[in-house]
Amino acid sequence: MSLSKKIVILYGSETGNAHDFATILSHRLHRLHFPHTFCSIGDYNPQDILKCKYLFIICSTTGQGELPRNANVSSKRGRPLTLWSFLKKKNLPSNLLNHIQTAMLGLGDSSYPKFNYGIRKLHQRLVIQLGANEIFDRLEADDQAMAGSNKGTGLGVESVYFEYEKKALNFLLKKFPNRRFGDEIIKREELDPEIYLEPMSYLQVANKDFNEDVSKTKIEFRGDESMKSGRVSANKRITSEDHFQDIRLFQFSNFDKILEETYEPGDTAAIYPCNTDEDVSRFLANQSHWLEVADKPLIFTKGVPDDLKDGGLVKPLTLRNLVKYHCDFMSIPRSSFFLKTWTFAMDVTKMERGQEQLDDQREKLRQFATDQDMQDLYDYCNRPRRSILEVLEDFLSVKLPWKYVLDYMPIIKPRYYSISSGPEDPNIELTVAVVKYKTILRKIRRGICTNYIARLQEGEKVRYKLQNNHIVKKEFLNKPIILVGPGVGLAPLLSVIRAGISEDMRLFFGCRFKDKDYIYKDILEDWSSKGRIALYTSFSRDSENSPGVRYVQDYLWKLGKEITDLVINRDAVFFLCGSSGKMPIQIRLTFIEMLKKWGGFRDEDAAKKYLKEMEKFDRYIQETW
Amino acid sequence: MSHYKSGLLLIHPSVTTTPELVENTKNHAASKEVKFVDQFLINKLNDGSINLEKSKYEVIQYLTPEAVTDIKFPKKLISILADSLKLNGSLMGLSDTYKVDALINGFEIVNKPEYRWVKKDFSNLTQTVSIPLKDKKKPCSTKLQNGSTKLPTFKKANALTSKLPSFKKAEDTRLPTIKRADESEVPNFKMASEPRVYKVVDDLIEDSDDDVSSDSSKAQYFDQVDVDNDSIEEEDLIDEDDSSKPMITMITCGKSKTKKKKACKDCTCGMKEQEEREINDLRSQQDKVVKFSENELTEIDFTIDGKKVGGCGSCSLGDAFRCSGCPYLGLPAFKPGQPINLDSISDDL
Repeated sequence: MSLSKKIVILYGSETGNAHDFATILSHRLHRLHFPHTFCSIGDYNPQDILKCKYLFIICSTTGQGELPRNANVSSKRGRPLTLWSFLKKKNLPSNLLNHIQTAMLGLGDSSYPKFNYGIRKLHQRLVIQLGANEIFDRLEADDQAMAGSNKGTGLGVESVYFEYEKKALNFLLKKFPNRRFGDEIIKREELDPEIYLEPMSYLQVANKDFNEDVSKTKIEFRGDESMKSGRVSANKRITSEDHFQDIRLFQFSNFDKILEETYEPGDTAAIYPCNTDEDVSRFLANQSHWLEVADKPLIFTKGVPDDLKDGGLVKPLTLRNLVKYHCDFMSIPRSSFFLKTWTFAMDVTKMERGQEQLDDQREKLRQFATDQDMQDLYDYCNRPRRSILEVLEDFLSVKLPWKYVLDYMPIIKPRYYSISSGPEDPNIELTVAVVKYKTILRKIRRGICTNYIARLQEGEKVRYKLQNNHIVKKEFLNKPIILVGPGVGLAPLLSVIRAGISEDMRLFFGCRFKDKDYIYKDILEDWSSKGRIALYTSFSRDSENSPGVRYVQDYLWKLGKEITDLVINRDAVFFLCGSSGKMPIQIRLTFIEMLKKWGGFRDEDAAKKYLKEMEKFDRYIQETW
Repeated sequence: MSHYKSGLLLIHPSVTTTPELVENTKNHAASKEVKFVDQFLINKLNDGSINLEKSKYEVIQYLTPEAVTDIKFPKKLISILADSLKLNGSLMGLSDTYKVDALINGFEIVNKPEYRWVKKDFSNLTQTVSIPLKDKKKPCSTKLQNGSTKLPTFKKANALTSKLPSFKKAEDTRLPTIKRADESEVPNFKMASEPRVYKVVDDLIEDSDDDVSSDSSKAQYFDQVDVDNDSIEEEDLIDEDDSSKPMITMITCGKSKTKKKKACKDCTCGMKEQEEREINDLRSQQDKVVKFSENELTEIDFTIDGKKVGGCGSCSLGDAFRCSGCPYLGLPAFKPGQPINLDSISDDL
C-alpha cells in the first residue's frame, strides 16, 4: 500500500460515521491501485497540502457547529499546528490552494440548528477564500433526510456517501485510467473483491528468545504522554434502586497528584474503557485458533498504526491484551468491517451443513459488505444493536487472521463526559447514566464505557484526558444565566453553578419522579435555600409533585415573561444541556414563542433571527449528546 | 472499423459486484469486434420484465461467476435467446450441461476457436417454417404427441451432435475473460481454504496531470505560523443571513425505499412502547417454543429430519437468515441437535 501525497482523503469524525465512510473510500482507492494519503484532518501534516492535488474531505459537525475533535487536534505528539489551524491564519493569499481539486462530503443531522456547519466552514475557507477548485459541488448528508443532498428522498446518509464515492471514483478513473505494472502500462481495474488487502503494518510473534511469561506483567499504556492516570475516589448510584436507570456519581483524582488539574465549567473528561475479561474469553473461544498465540509477545511489522496512538498502546503487547484494551468487538459492526472480513468466511469445518452453508454465509456477508442499500445490514445489526462478537457467533465460518486484527477491527475510542465538579476541585466528578437496554436480542445491550465505569471500584485506576471546550466565556461573568438541564444534562450545569460565575443563576431541572431520579436533590435544594440559585423543577411522570408542569419547557413558558425580559433587556445567557433529540427542539420552539409573546418580536422570522444572533454571540448555548 | 457485431450481454446478478469482470468481458468482446448494444440482468429476462427483440443480435454472451459446469440456467430462456439471435449468431457462456436444450432450439455446438452455440437454420428440414421457435422447446417433454412434425429437428440435431467428434471438458469451455488479470499478481495465493491476501501495488502515472502545480513560493506561509492571534474567526465562515440555497449536489436517483422508522431516544409518540410490545410478544412466543421443546424432546431434537427447523429451513442459521416472522428471531444461531438454553443467553436489566 503505497502512500502518495498527491491524492489525499481526510476525515473529521466524532461518532465514527465519517471515519467509516472515509475508510470505505480509501479501501476502494487501494483496490483500484490508487496510492493516497488517508488520515484525520487533525493528523494531516499541514505542509503536505502543497504537494496535494486531489483532496477528498468527509467531515461531520459537532457541538456548536464545530469541526469534530480529530479535525482540530492531532493525535500525534508535538504537532500543535494542524491543517485547519494553519488554514485559518489570516494572512494567506486567495490562490493558496489553487493547485488543488477537491470534493467534499458533509455528514449532519438537521435536527441540530447548525446543520453541516463543519463541511460548510471547510468549503468556505478552502474553496471560496483560498482558491481550491471543486471537482463537483459538495454533498451534504442529512440523517433525517429533511435537508441537504438527500432532502425529501427518504434515503439514508449512506446513499449520499455512495453518490459521492461514485463521482469521486469516476473523476479519478478518468484522470488516471491506466497504471504501471512492472514495465507495462495496463488498464486500471479493481482488485478481485475476494482478495484481502494487506495492511501496511500488522502483527507477528516476537523473537523466540524473548519467551518470557508476559501474562503476569503489569499492564501499562505507552506512547501518549497527554494520557493521564486517575484513581477512583467515589462511584455511587444516585437514582433509587427501583428506578430503571442507574445514574452514577463518579469521582476520580489524578493518580500521581503532582499534576494540578485545571478545567473550566463545560469541559469534558475523556475516559478510556476496556472490555470485560468474560467478553474477551468469549471472543477468543469463537476464534479458537487465536488461543495458542493469545499470550505470546507480539510486535508490529512496520510500527504502531496511528489509530492506536490515542491513549497509548497496551504493554505487554499480546493478542489477549489487544483484544481487551483496543479491539471494540462489542460494538455494532459498520459496513467497512464486513467489507474487510467477509472474505474470511471459509472455515467449512464449523458448518453443520457443509459447503452449502458456507456458501450461504459467505454470500450473506458479501451482501452486507457491498450492498449500497444498507437496509439489511441495518435490520440485522443496527436495529437490534448486535455486536461484532454476536455476528461472528452467528457466522461460524468466519476464521479471522489475528495478524491483521487491528486493520479490520474497530479500535476502542474514549468516551467524553461533562465534568460536574467545580474548577478548583481536584476530585474530578462525572455524572454518568449507565447505558443498558433491551432489544430483540436476549442479552442486555450495554454501553462499553458506562458499564466499564459502573464496574470500577474505589482505588482502581482509570485512564483519562481532560478536554477544554471553551464554553463559558469571560463575557458571561455576572450576567443573568438561565440553565436548562433535564436528567444527566444537569452535569455540566453543576460545574457552572459551582464555579459561581454569576450571582444570578436560574436552574430548570427535570426528571421523571421526585423520589427516584431527582439527582443531586440535596445539593440543589441547599443551593436554592441559600439563594445561590433559583431552582425550578418539573417531574414528567409525577404530576402530584409537579402540578401544571411536565417538562422543563413547560416551566420556562410559565415564567416566560420574566425569562424573556432577562434575555432581551439584561443580556442573559441561555445554557441548554442534555440528551439530543426532541428535547432541545421543543425548548427551542418554546424559546421562539416566548420571544414572540413577551419579547416584542411580531413574527416568527424576527424571533428566529434574534435567536440566531444570540447563538452567534454564544448567548444561547446548546450542549447536547 | 465501422462495422461491429451487435451483442447482448446477459449477466448474473452477482456479477454486478465484480465490475471488472464485466469490463474484461467487454474488452475481450471488443477485440473480436463485438459491441454489446444491450446489457441485461438474467433475472430481469427470466421474470419477463425485459423482452428481447427477435433476430437482433449476432452475439449473446452470458456472464456469471459460477464455474461453467455449475451454471443453473433457466432452460425456458434458451429458446427466447435463440429467437433474439440472427441466423448464424452465437450464444456463449453455457456449457454442454444444456446441450440437449441447445440442439432442440436449433443451435449447433461449435468448439473452435471458442466454445459456443451457433444458431442454424434448420427450417428446411422441419417443413414448418411458420412455427415460431418458441414452441420448439416442448417436443421432448410434455407435448410430444403433437410434435411429430418437429421430431425431425430433434433427430437432425442428434445427428449433428454425433458428427461432432468430442466435447471439450468444462475447463476448456471456461471463458477466457473470466480469468482475472490480478490473479497473476497474487504472490501468496495458496489453497482455496486460505484467504488470498494481496499487497497492493499502487501507482499513478505522473504525466497524466499537468494542471497548475503548487508553486514553491507558497511554502513561505508556513514560516510565519508561529505568530499567534492572527487567525480568522471560524464563525465568520458561515453567513447566517445567506438566504440563497447552498450550492450542493442533490441526489435524485435511487430507490425511494423508506427506512423503517425507529423510536427516538426520548420517544413520546408511542412508537417506543410499540417496539417494546413487539419485543415482548416475540419473547413470550419464544418462551413457549422453547418450553414446549424441553418437555417434548423430539420437538427440540433438531437432528431429526423434518423437526429440526421451521418450514423455511433457516431457523437454526441465525437472524441474518431468518424470516421476518421467525419465532427464533433474536436468538443466536444454534446447532441442530442442541436444545436452546435461554438461561445461558439472556440476562436481566
